Amino acid sequence: MTLRTSLVIAAAAVVTSTPLSAQSLASRVVASDGIVQVLYPSRPTACGDGKGFISNLFGSHYVFSGNATGQGGNSWSTQVCLRGPARVVATVMNGEVTRARAYVGPVPPSASDVRTISVPAAEASAWLGDVIARGSARAASDMLLPFILADGPEPWALLLKVARDENRPRDLKRNVMMWLSNGVSEHLGLSDADEPSNDDEEMRKQAIYVLTQRPKNESVPQLIELAKSLKHPASRRTAIYWLGQSGDPRAVDVYAELLGLR
Amino acid sequence: MRRDLLALTAVLSASVSANSISAQTLAQRVDAVRDGRVLMAFQARPGVCGGSNGSIWTRESWKSSSWNQNDCLTGPVRVSLGRAEGTTISVRVFVGGVWRATAGETDIGVIPPAEAAHYLAGVAHSIGGRSGSDAVSAVALADAPDVSPDLVSVVRDVNAPLDARKQALFWAGNTALSTRDLVQLYDGLGPFSLREHFVFVVSQRRDDTAVDKLIDVATRDADLEIRKRAMYWLGQTQDPRAVKFLRDLVTR
Repeated sequence: MTLRTSLVIAAAAVVTSTPLSAQSLASRVVASDGIVQVLYPSRPTACGDGKGFISNLFGSHYVFSGNATGQGGNSWSTQVCLRGPARVVATVMNGEVTRARAYVGPVPPSASDVRTISVPAAEASAWLGDVIARGSARAASDMLLPFILADGPEPWALLLKVARDENRPRDLKRNVMMWLSNGVSEHLGLSDADEPSNDDEEMRKQAIYVLTQRPKNESVPQLIELAKSLKHPASRRTAIYWLGQSGDPRAVDVYAELLGLR
Repeated sequence: MRRDLLALTAVLSASVSANSISAQTLAQRVDAVRDGRVLMAFQARPGVCGGSNGSIWTRESWKSSSWNQNDCLTGPVRVSLGRAEGTTISVRVFVGGVWRATAGETDIGVIPPAEAAHYLAGVAHSIGGRSGSDAVSAVALADAPDVSPDLVSVVRDVNAPLDARKQALFWAGNTALSTRDLVQLYDGLGPFSLREHFVFVVSQRRDDTAVDKLIDVATRDADLEIRKRAMYWLGQTQDPRAVKFLRDLVTR
């Protein structure tokens, strides 16, 4: 077999491993440079104002914004939160998605030069998942929230795969682990566990943080144990989060185990 | 016999007078300047030097810095006291070089380090801001046998300005004061910032007594934020009891 033949076969393998729906949507998105918005059904619980505020994705306390990702709920409690489609607004330059932002809720009128594509959730998931698995670090990170928002299959298996992929950028994997930690907490029913409301809970939370500052050979085993079995829900959620941020490969296995996946 | 007794009494009196004159001289010489600046110098303890930009370094700070030691000049501690209407209103400390008094400045020369330290500690009891900090630093930089009693006195003085007490606490932690004595200061530290500083200072001792105290503060201090800070510094120690404490706190 010549080198040229090998390359052709390898290229074909790459193409065939990308879902057809992802290919067609991807090619439509990058068909021309500029702004394109992709609309698709969002998860049943999710709501937003269509302008950057997103809530009820993981329990009622989590709130995400298009500009900045936050967590909490108090300062957002008066925000309008309406059910509606998920919307990815992507910037395409030189035939490539360079950045993207997610929205949920009412779709505002768009400028005439913004292209709009509406697709089923599964098609959106396939495209978004492909960008996460293969795209540039920036685009892949931007696509994590839109991917999780899709009312499609559970996103965790693919995210676990990306987290284990030695060829994906470290920053992307850190973001992936952050979202996975939310998924794990949601799966375990911890998402709505109250934030510390008394001194003991606050101290537990601080103690977990302090543990993360210890050498990894000490902290990671401690965090694994706490993530698996801590009886205090909010503190367990904290341990799950910090375990993911440790960068230790064992964290992915623990997340998979807690999600009931492999 | 009587003459001998009188002679001995005279010697003792002279000795006492000389001591009190000596003890008073510095205060009196400073007090003699109603308005202007009083300049003095005294020997710095080993390992102290000053940078051309006015920075002061000690042997301990060299260790934790990539700063070029060759730029650091050893030399006397130089102190300038600003005087207005018979009161000391400012203190500035430098290391290295010599004073060249100008108009409005009175150079009272080289002072024995222990005497200067004791006097400046007295000043620190009643002057705030950077002046209080500088006065305390000057005490700590003096080549005196043991300045910890003077520093402890400032720390314990609830009427002394906070800056001076804080600085005194820091330097007390860097003296030969035992950790046991150091941790006893905690009970007299009312203000938040002093207790916050205390847990840092104690954490630098890294011995059993220090770890015990950090655990105690992390467990008992009335203020949640102080308990959290004590816990943070506890986590920075290498002591296995720290991890056990943290773990027990999380799981109980």
